[in-house]
Amino acid sequence: MKERAEVVVIGGGINGSAIAYELAKRGKEVVVVERKWLAYGATGRCGAGIRQQWSTKENALLAKKSVEIFEKLEEELGHEIGLRQGGYLIAIHDEEDMKQAKKNVEMQRSIGLPVRIIGEDEIKEIAPILDPKGMEAIAATFCPTDGHANPFKTTYAYAMAAQKMGAEFYKFTEVQDIKVEDGKVKKVITDKGEIETKWVVNAAGAWSSKISKMVGLEIPNKPVRKEAMVTEPVKRTFDCMVISFKHGIYFSQQDEGQILGGIPSPEEKVGYYTQPTFSFLRHMAYTLGKYAPPLKHVRILRQWTGFYDVTPDALPILGETDIEGFIQCNGFSGHGFMIAPMTAKLLAQLICGEKLDMDIERLNMSRFEGEIVEEKSVVG
Amino acid sequence: MRIEEHPVLEFERGKEIYFYYNGKKMKAYEGETIAAALHANGITKFSESTKFHRPRGFFCGIGKCSSCLMKVDGVPNVRTCITLVKEGMVVEDNDGELPDGEVQEAKTVEMEVDIAIVGGGAAGLSAAIEASPYASVVVIDENPRPGGQLIKQTHKFFGSKEERAGTRGIEIARLLREEASKKCNILLNTSVIGYYDRGHHFLVAVNRMENVVYEIKARKIIFATGAQENMLVFEGNDLPGIYGAGGVQTLMNVYGVKPGKKGLIVGAGNVGLILAYQLKQAGVDVVAIIEAMPKIGGYMVHAAKVRRCGVPIYTKHSIKRAYGSERVEGATIVELDENWNYVEGSEQDVECDFICLAVGLTPSVRLVAQTGAEITYINEAGGWIALHNEYMETTKEGIYVAGDLANIEEASVAMLEGKIAGLHAAHSIAPVENFDEKMRAYMENLKIFREGVFGARPKMAKEKIRERYHEKMGKGRSG
Repeated sequence: MKERAEVVVIGGGINGSAIAYELAKRGKEVVVVERKWLAYGATGRCGAGIRQQWSTKENALLAKKSVEIFEKLEEELGHEIGLRQGGYLIAIHDEEDMKQAKKNVEMQRSIGLPVRIIGEDEIKEIAPILDPKGMEAIAATFCPTDGHANPFKTTYAYAMAAQKMGAEFYKFTEVQDIKVEDGKVKKVITDKGEIETKWVVNAAGAWSSKISKMVGLEIPNKPVRKEAMVTEPVKRTFDCMVISFKHGIYFSQQDEGQILGGIPSPEEKVGYYTQPTFSFLRHMAYTLGKYAPPLKHVRILRQWTGFYDVTPDALPILGETDIEGFIQCNGFSGHGFMIAPMTAKLLAQLICGEKLDMDIERLNMSRFEGEIVEEKSVVG
Repeated sequence: MRIEEHPVLEFERGKEIYFYYNGKKMKAYEGETIAAALHANGITKFSESTKFHRPRGFFCGIGKCSSCLMKVDGVPNVRTCITLVKEGMVVEDNDGELPDGEVQEAKTVEMEVDIAIVGGGAAGLSAAIEASPYASVVVIDENPRPGGQLIKQTHKFFGSKEERAGTRGIEIARLLREEASKKCNILLNTSVIGYYDRGHHFLVAVNRMENVVYEIKARKIIFATGAQENMLVFEGNDLPGIYGAGGVQTLMNVYGVKPGKKGLIVGAGNVGLILAYQLKQAGVDVVAIIEAMPKIGGYMVHAAKVRRCGVPIYTKHSIKRAYGSERVEGATIVELDENWNYVEGSEQDVECDFICLAVGLTPSVRLVAQTGAEITYINEAGGWIALHNEYMETTKEGIYVAGDLANIEEASVAMLEGKIAGLHAAHSIAPVENFDEKMRAYMENLKIFREGVFGARPKMAKEKIRERYHEKMGKGRSG
């Protein structure tokens, strides 16, 4: 283990790995400290959808810029990431939904996203497996450039590319404390040794508030147990991710044919609970069967849990803090994967003193001192 | 491919029936699995790999490896090795196409029992027999018949009289089955799909043939889910015709179907040796047994018997590759030096149409892992293992393990461990008369059984398991 590094990134998920890459690319000496293994936390347990259809401009822009990066990422990193742009189909259930959808689509189109509102017929055309009646849908919004990527491959692609440029990854290494001197980050203490540094990036996902406390900063993030499941592989019949904000369901078909998805569990809890529930399985199976009746014939192979790192406004916490050198990169509230490429780039620009491609001041943790604007387009 | 004459076994074949394989009418017998019926008709390619569409056949024969998935009566991904063939059944290549039509809602049956036992093999049935005089017991097994791996053991067992030494495995299976089914409820063709902690132990099980979901609340659960056969890494190891040794035993000794004409066995432990002998009994040729270690791992009696049948055993040899287009047509074997490297120029071509891997087992630990019981990697025990004490209880209260799941050992040990777990589970619900005396006797037998040379490895494994159990429990019970 190195005794000193310019930047210490805490957390080897998609964000930590991507930041390490962006920093290494800029010539920074960076190390990543991960308690377990790469993608152990939310990254390896998520649906890995890539959605640009958000209700807040910050998220929509971050996602759009991220998709632009995703599209060229295999080439840039030299490793496959399993990107598939089959679009996101978001159910509109009633007039009120329609009002919000129209507002969202207008904003989304203004930043250049090819989103449109589609009727029942087109829903069936895009994904014949869907039953608009069972979905209780009167229409949907559809953005064909949305999609998904393989979260493991993407994380490893970033990590390997970062390592090629000199970044080091310390797995099975737990951060125990962070020393601060004169309001500045000084040293990261792990169970395997100490690393002197000027910069610490807190990308610890659901454990970010614990890391934050080490430098005396309180963040309002809460770990929420979320559940997901995957079925046996069946013939590929649809390309898009299907979601509903009303029912909270999301599902898509993977390249090998499995259906992967989730829904808020009837027994959802705040806290570090890791046990899956049977009520989730029943609820998911029942709802999935209503959305796509042929899937009633499919057997579920596995279910698992992971944590959303949830903030009060469901927007991430990014950027500088009152402790000099301590950078927040957390609170993604269930959509950290899809915006990681741009997030990583922006934070690397911040650390390297470059001009940022996009203003992230509104995502600073200081926003919780004032009034908050909530992101409404959250599922799972 | 059917065995017509056998020195030990008499196959009680059911009614002659017909089924369709990719449109072709084929003969089968009631009571046999689809996989056995296909083999009997010379079909060994069952599925294709997802990505590269390589041909695959069945490997384990007990529902654990998923390489035998086919489409049956319109339903994709059916494990043909544990699904019984039926009159007029339509068996096809697995295209993953979903069936038309409505799905009948499954019937939910709620149950509350003192002890639920997952797995109806040597350990599970023994536990059930032991516990059922004192407690309400249900045994759940996903195979069409109970008895686990005993139902294919034609050889006579060693050990003590109490553990039925001198009796053939198939006979032991019959005795256990008869006794257990008199005393408790056995759910067959039923897979436990999950354990959930609801403040009490809760299992969900599904009988797919009857379309029933069982929701079982249990005060204690004994997991006796056994083990799965190890795969070996070599070129062409996924060709149809490469089986786990147990898979071949199932085919041959349970269903009376030959795996091929001429086989190569990898591994000269007891399983490999016994298998060679059983193949010869069934009239199948065995070209050789190869063994990577410098000496034979199994009992000398078995090795001598195999040699008398004219089967050569090559130690310090391994398999380099298997070849063939749609199934095994031959293999290349190679000599190993002291450092396990190939000896240059020692490659030999072996003509065979199937290969059996008898290279050890790995405990099927996934289900018990869901309970939150502490799981640790212990090499001597066969891999990941649930830590447990001398009463077979894991670090999670009321959760027990027994048999191969608790350490790869002999069936006799599995039976004893089942009894110990069953007795302790029952006793901890309501005191059992003469508990100490009974328990002492079982433990003494277990000790005697492990005294021999071949007990050294399992003994070491058990010591490690218990040591770590107590280390862990020193900090308090988990869950």
